[in-house]
Amino acid sequence: MTAGDAALEEAAPVRARRASPVVAAALAAAAIVLGGVFAGAVQSTLLMTLLTQAIITAILATGVGFLIRQNGVVSFGHAAFYGMACYTIALAMRHGVMPIEAAILLALVLPTALAFALGLVIVRIPGVAFSMLTLAVGQALYEFATKARHATGGDDGLTVNLPARVFGVSTSLFQDPHAMFVVSWAVLALVVLALAAVAASPFGRLTAAIRENEERARFIGYATVLPRVLVLTLSAFVVAIAGVLFTLYNAFVSPDVLHWSLSGSALIMAIIGGPRLIWGPAFGAIIFFFAKDMAGDVTEHWQAIIGVILIVVMLLLPVGLGGALARLWRRGAGHG
Amino acid sequence: MADGFAIEGIDITRSFGGFFALKGISIAVPPGEIRGLIGPNGAGKSTLIDVLSGRADRWTGTVRMFGDDIGALPAHQRRRAGLARSFQRTNVFADLTVVDQLEIAARAAETPNVEEIMAELSLTALAGKRAADISYGDQRRLDLALALIGRPRILLLDEPAAGLSIGESLELAHNLKDLVARWKVTVLLVEHDMEVVFSICDRITVLHLGELLAEGTPDEIRGIPEVVTAYLGSSV
Repeated sequence: MTAGDAALEEAAPVRARRASPVVAAALAAAAIVLGGVFAGAVQSTLLMTLLTQAIITAILATGVGFLIRQNGVVSFGHAAFYGMACYTIALAMRHGVMPIEAAILLALVLPTALAFALGLVIVRIPGVAFSMLTLAVGQALYEFATKARHATGGDDGLTVNLPARVFGVSTSLFQDPHAMFVVSWAVLALVVLALAAVAASPFGRLTAAIRENEERARFIGYATVLPRVLVLTLSAFVVAIAGVLFTLYNAFVSPDVLHWSLSGSALIMAIIGGPRLIWGPAFGAIIFFFAKDMAGDVTEHWQAIIGVILIVVMLLLPVGLGGALARLWRRGAGHG
Repeated sequence: MADGFAIEGIDITRSFGGFFALKGISIAVPPGEIRGLIGPNGAGKSTLIDVLSGRADRWTGTVRMFGDDIGALPAHQRRRAGLARSFQRTNVFADLTVVDQLEIAARAAETPNVEEIMAELSLTALAGKRAADISYGDQRRLDLALALIGRPRILLLDEPAAGLSIGESLELAHNLKDLVARWKVTVLLVEHDMEVVFSICDRITVLHLGELLAEGTPDEIRGIPEVVTAYLGSSV
């Protein structure tokens, strides 16, 4: 065997590791089972309420983080997709124009379609300008929801009149913290698995290449706009899933679900957890919620403590806490 | 093939405000030829490569590839049609491994010759390394490898030997000449290393201040006093 052959063989396991769907599916299944066991073991409703909120927000952060990971851009407007999913269900139920199942489907389709249409224009714009455009779109929807009181209830929000059953399951199940934790956890596990599969696919590797060097990607023969649009669209779809879960759980929506600060929080979660990992933002969301809860017990200015955590992570662990853990794991496992 | 040329730029002009980077330049390279494109800094060499490859905007004139007008095609479509290029500054995917980026490039090509290219350019031993972790010289070869994936019909090379040692430059030049002869690729080569240019090019085009100064075989170019005065001096 020549040195070259050896090098190719050495590179092969890296590719094989990335593309092992059976292992990934087994991990996701194990995670779902563990979630169920955990929910069964925890008695505290307060803790489960906090955790369920954390997991739903973790799905939101995972969508935001996927955009950073694959497109290398930051969105301050993903609350628009989240809030649009929430309001779609709320308004459909308020006016009784369709069954809840159709409303949920529409709540997934509308934000995804908006992201695709918007993406055709805004992904061409780099860096900070992209972030500002997402902020503008998100805030436009927020302002609309605030001002259009007759339709949205304005600042007072809307109570969502959910039917007794959703997809044949009792609605009360979706509003029980223990049960909803299991549902949300399972959805998060499946979302992470699906996004990991996308990231490891030829499409995911292409978008990573475009993120690295868009010009070079064009000069090896790729149109670069559509892949970037599709990443934005997929990320919005994930965020819309979180919006659907939020609405089913809370049965109430207000303009807060469209506000830029929600996008900002998701971004902070992604950075704390590590946006270069598919599961990093979800990890960051859980840390964020517990840090917020604990800091809230100490001071009403809990945002200052989150700010300090963010600064420390950005300065000392630019790969995020999840990234640092992954490195430790690799070292422990002997992968350098 | 309508007119016998692999790549042709006709009456190409590009200006920035009142400054003309190219003033009505015409160039035509027959299939299989290695054409050198030389001139002092600011002569318009890289700008011409940018126009031909689809990187530049706001230019006038006509670009033809094997007789077809490709002037309106975006860069990725020109690449898929068989027109590849390398860059003056190393332009690779820093965070991807050597083999990953070549495989990505190969998926856009009709001839996915990753292992062949790695062997040709001595990159096989670096297959699993990130581009950011390999030496500058290796990155230059990777840049060239990305252009060579799929066996392009035309290769536009913008200073492929920039930053390489004399030995590395000559090795690259001879590898290139050998490969081009075997694959029958047409090459337009921008290079400041005159030893490289005069040793491998069939013909040479000289630009000066955005205009065509001269064109001919290496021996003819050496004998043109204006070229020697404007650019070559005593280097050849």
